[in-house]
Amino acid sequence: MITSQPNRLASGGLIDRSAPLNFRFDGKTFAGFQGDTLASALIANGVKLVGRSFKYHRPRGILTAGSEEPNALVELRTGARREPNTKATTAELYDGLEAASQNRWPSLRHDLMAVNQLFASIFVAGFYYKTFMWPAKFWEAVYEPAIRRAAGLGRAAGAADPDHYDKAWAHCDVLIAGSGPAGLAAALAAGRSGARVILCEEDFLLGGRLLADGGTIDGMPAAEWVSRTLAELATLPDVRIMNRTTLFGVYDGGTYGAIERVNDHLPSPPEHQVRQRLWRIVAKRCVVAAGAIERPIVFAGNDTPGVMMASAMRTYVARYSATPAKRIALFTNNEDGWRTVEAALGAGLQIAAVVDARPDVSAAHRALAAKAGFAVLNGFVSGVDGGKDGVKKISISLAGGARAEVETDGLAVSGGWNPAVGLTSYHRGRPKWQDDISAFVPDGAPPGMEAAGAANGAFGLGACLRQGFAAGAAAAQSAGRDGNAGAPPVADDEAFSLTPLWHVAGKGKAFVDYQHDVTAADIELAQREGFESVEHLKRYTTLGMATDQGKTSNVAGLAIMAAVSGKSIPETGTTIYRPPYVPVAIGAFAGQHRDENFHATRLTPSHHWAAEQGAVFVDTGLWKRAQWYPRAGEKDWLETVIREVKAVRGGVGFCDVSTLGKIDVHGPDAGAFLDRVYINTFSNLAVGKARYGLMLREDGMVYDDGTTSRLAEDHYFLTTTTAKAGPVMQHLEFCRQVLFPELNVQLTSVSDQWAQFSIAGPKTRDLLREIVDPAEDLSNEAFPFMGARKVSLRGGIGARLFRISFSGEMAFEISVPARYGDALVRNLMLAGKQFGVTPYGTEALGVMRIEKGHVAGPELNGTTTAADLGLGKMMSTRKDFIGRVMAGREALAARDRQVVVGIKATDSARRLRSGAHVIPKGEIPGPANDQGYITSVCFSPTLDQWIGLALVERGRDRIGEIVHAHDPLRGEDYDVELCNPVFYDPDGGRQRG
Amino acid sequence: MAEISWISRGPLEHVLVVGAYGARDVAPGISLTEVRNFDLIQVMARRGKGAELANAAKARFGVAAPDAPKAVSASDVTLIWSGPDQFLVLSKGGKHAIDILSQAFSQSASLSDQSHARALISVTGAKARAMLAKLSSLDLHPASFPIGAAAATSIDHTGVNLWRGNDRPDGQPVFNLLVFASFAVSLWHTMLDAAAEYGVDIGFLEELA
Amino acid sequence: MRIVCPFCGERELGEFTYLGDAKPVRPAAGASEDEVFDYVYLRDNIAGAMSEYWYHGGGCRAWLKITRNTLTHEISSVEPAAGVGARQVAR
Repeated sequence: MITSQPNRLASGGLIDRSAPLNFRFDGKTFAGFQGDTLASALIANGVKLVGRSFKYHRPRGILTAGSEEPNALVELRTGARREPNTKATTAELYDGLEAASQNRWPSLRHDLMAVNQLFASIFVAGFYYKTFMWPAKFWEAVYEPAIRRAAGLGRAAGAADPDHYDKAWAHCDVLIAGSGPAGLAAALAAGRSGARVILCEEDFLLGGRLLADGGTIDGMPAAEWVSRTLAELATLPDVRIMNRTTLFGVYDGGTYGAIERVNDHLPSPPEHQVRQRLWRIVAKRCVVAAGAIERPIVFAGNDTPGVMMASAMRTYVARYSATPAKRIALFTNNEDGWRTVEAALGAGLQIAAVVDARPDVSAAHRALAAKAGFAVLNGFVSGVDGGKDGVKKISISLAGGARAEVETDGLAVSGGWNPAVGLTSYHRGRPKWQDDISAFVPDGAPPGMEAAGAANGAFGLGACLRQGFAAGAAAAQSAGRDGNAGAPPVADDEAFSLTPLWHVAGKGKAFVDYQHDVTAADIELAQREGFESVEHLKRYTTLGMATDQGKTSNVAGLAIMAAVSGKSIPETGTTIYRPPYVPVAIGAFAGQHRDENFHATRLTPSHHWAAEQGAVFVDTGLWKRAQWYPRAGEKDWLETVIREVKAVRGGVGFCDVSTLGKIDVHGPDAGAFLDRVYINTFSNLAVGKARYGLMLREDGMVYDDGTTSRLAEDHYFLTTTTAKAGPVMQHLEFCRQVLFPELNVQLTSVSDQWAQFSIAGPKTRDLLREIVDPAEDLSNEAFPFMGARKVSLRGGIGARLFRISFSGEMAFEISVPARYGDALVRNLMLAGKQFGVTPYGTEALGVMRIEKGHVAGPELNGTTTAADLGLGKMMSTRKDFIGRVMAGREALAARDRQVVVGIKATDSARRLRSGAHVIPKGEIPGPANDQGYITSVCFSPTLDQWIGLALVERGRDRIGEIVHAHDPLRGEDYDVELCNPVFYDPDGGRQRG
Repeated sequence: MAEISWISRGPLEHVLVVGAYGARDVAPGISLTEVRNFDLIQVMARRGKGAELANAAKARFGVAAPDAPKAVSASDVTLIWSGPDQFLVLSKGGKHAIDILSQAFSQSASLSDQSHARALISVTGAKARAMLAKLSSLDLHPASFPIGAAAATSIDHTGVNLWRGNDRPDGQPVFNLLVFASFAVSLWHTMLDAAAEYGVDIGFLEELA
Repeated sequence: MRIVCPFCGERELGEFTYLGDAKPVRPAAGASEDEVFDYVYLRDNIAGAMSEYWYHGGGCRAWLKITRNTLTHEISSVEPAAGVGARQVAR
């Protein structure tokens, strides 16, 4: 049964009474209206208790009406969409909304964890450091789990987020944060000047404080001015208004982060739409018109439900027509607080009393009090009588020393206003203290940014409009837009008088940071214990470190520290802020990049065909490569791979090697260029020939390897490993553009132009003859090992053929233009049927390269030299090349280096695993006698046992020695024999045959 | 002997489904069209031959090759700036193929055939800019990226060449995008994701128009 | 951060790759081990304006020499490396 809305005014407010909505809070159904937030709807329904506090589980209500809210945090939505720590004050109401209070058990009204309050003495500042120090082993087992249960906020959903998020870029001349009077005036000035403008407003309605406080602008009611202004802005071609969008960060070079809650106001996003969108906005200038945040006064019981910021109180009354109380008391130290009295009286509510810390309340206010029949008391609120059902009575210390009590069901508090200095201080800008408003104001801002209006410490409506308009016009101008900005909007400036008041001493807990349960006593204790610096204070007490980043608490905390340490507030200083200004879901930062879209993927030209064959794919960098091609009846991958290897060694197989990096090296100096980047010589390579090349880093370690062919006098075709394709291209461009600009050479990546396949096995020529034009001579004489040239294929397309072998077999690599790659594999399968042609994957490729003793990624690991790999003789001594000098360093040429060697288990049935350490036989494994490790292993179908490559001290001098393999990770110990790394066809007869 | 045939299959052939995609309750805000076959030649000036290449290009194509991030079109070719002293020659198959251009520019430039190395996707529609804003960090506002503007840039961590062609007859802007073939399927899915909310009309052309 | 590529215009950081100090010059062939060691390993740790190599790999593939203030990220100059494009360089 839906309750009526007992605390809803009969008329007024910016809610749509024709659009009633139902929602549930803690299982109970309530009604509200379109235009409500969850907080305003709860208030309309008389709900005061909305949560329990973080440490002490104290009952808490709604403190504010905006994104600074520390108390009213709920779990919003259910199931996979459940979102903890959502501010009820900004959550827009929708039909069917479900929310639950958090941090209570078993229920909000009867929270057993409130027993924590009895142990409050141990939860003081620094309690983690003091209480849970000993015994150390108790931390993980006892303390942390217990603390996690007792403290903390809401529960994460525990299931994958079903919604989508995305990210987008936007560009403008002038970016404006906030749509209050300053922000709208800035937009008007910048827009009229011809600037491209983006205005971000975190609320769903535009107008900022004008929505609740009204006023008169240009002689008309503020609401009318707002709608006229929006209408004018809508006529300007390049002004974009983004509501439900919070500007949360400022980054270098005029880049800003904003989060748009595209569909948070709906139960779930409409089909094809995102829940939230992360914006990166590039702006020439930025006007921060983010307003100010009203600050609490710290007094005992100030966290009792029903104690609310004065501005929030009148926002609920004026904007939402929801009355937080029937008989309101106001505790203020400034003129602005009195607006709440005016709003409450205007709505027909009672005023219980006004407690004003200032002795000099204006005659007009005194007259108002006399007319409405409430007392104006000069003094402080020193205590609150009430609990989970709200405020009942407040105690007052009067200026003369007497005490008074006032019965009330809602206490509005105003301690003054703090400009929202977050955005302006994100580049380590430290705000400065301004005495007349007793608040920190921006002291400079990141390049291109300017604060205006309340965010800049100007609290009068007229001043906000003037500053906003001037900032908007100046921003447009410096962005090069100098159209006529017209006349600025005009309004009167209200008087702002304030007597600083931060803390009322008294008995009972007086909260500074509501969300982290930091009290005035905690700050005093921190000072006594020496944590006086603001940075220490923050970390010792956790002041300002909750999800609200201390928006309502920081300045009061500093002021109390200043008072107890006998310093001024400017001397005490302030901590600075970091983005994000409001919490931003990780999902929004990820955007589209989740699940299968986590990163871009690259597919080979034969991918679709391989998928048809049922290939199993493996991620190799961004690539998907066919790892093996299982056949029906094969029991595991090993059986498949053994079949593939045997098919190649005994007949013919092919493998897509298009993932190798391919670079065209053109120009008259191409050969000279390659001589400098490779350790061996390429300028003397004959046209029509290929050569294996090895590159070093400048520090002498091996960088990459591959085969490079000379296709013409001034054209080489260079290949890289799959992993290093991008980095090698970058490296070569560095060599070309920076190191050797005198060489006439041009580089182009052609990796994606060519579909390249390795065709290997004794029947390779038979298969190729089916594909290649009969006029092409593939004999050993006409096309010897390491030959490379263009050929024509039957059916009329051109290809390149390279007689190179990674497997150790008679082999060719063939490349065709990529769009023919799919046709090529299908042709190979068709033409090769008679020879039993077998596609093989990267696993079989790996087995054959290990059998052949070829090094690959595990050996080219950044710590090996050419000599370590057994390739030291390739290093030319007759030319300079990258890495030459450093490779000659003593330690890099030392005799006891770990070098590549073959290994096989002494027990031929034993499986080897890479990563095992190599230890001299008979010695106890340890760092002192660790002589290397196994880098690559495979089951060799050819040798019918597991074999591998290892990096072992002086390995090649120890062929035949039995050493010990120690694998503490897997708990394995076994003996292996060091052997020649070339297990297969050591004299190379097969690949040359 | 087995029957050998060479069917050209572009990288998007297995994923591109002609017709509507995404939101159906609105008129499609995005049209995506793949062009399947074209010649694309990378031309890079050799050292000190920038002027010579420019002259040779002018003689060959009848228009000056772009020396700034722009795309210029002649009757049968589009020249797209791709970096300092280099450009791409995009044409309908045959007329400006690698062998022919290699002759024309043999003294002044190094050429690489990229005809099969890229997929060509054309994006247009009322929401084209909104959709591209999700993929590209560039400012595609008409004042910053007018007709004929080109950019070598990155989308989804891969290099692309993006240029603005002539507006569609209905006034909508046309953005053309060359992406590496191996990334094409991945980018295609990303584009569909980005475009879905606006409603998409998907098609392809066998040849460059 | 945004970098104004002399060829492409202003672009976002993600298109660029940072290499490092642009001050050390690769010693000519025949340099001593010590000279090469300095080139490879010795770097000033500058708090202030620093000359750096950046690669516009996500754009026009030009190597750029950039002067960047390491304290503020302010970029005061961007110039192409000597061998960018086809610019003639004396042999």
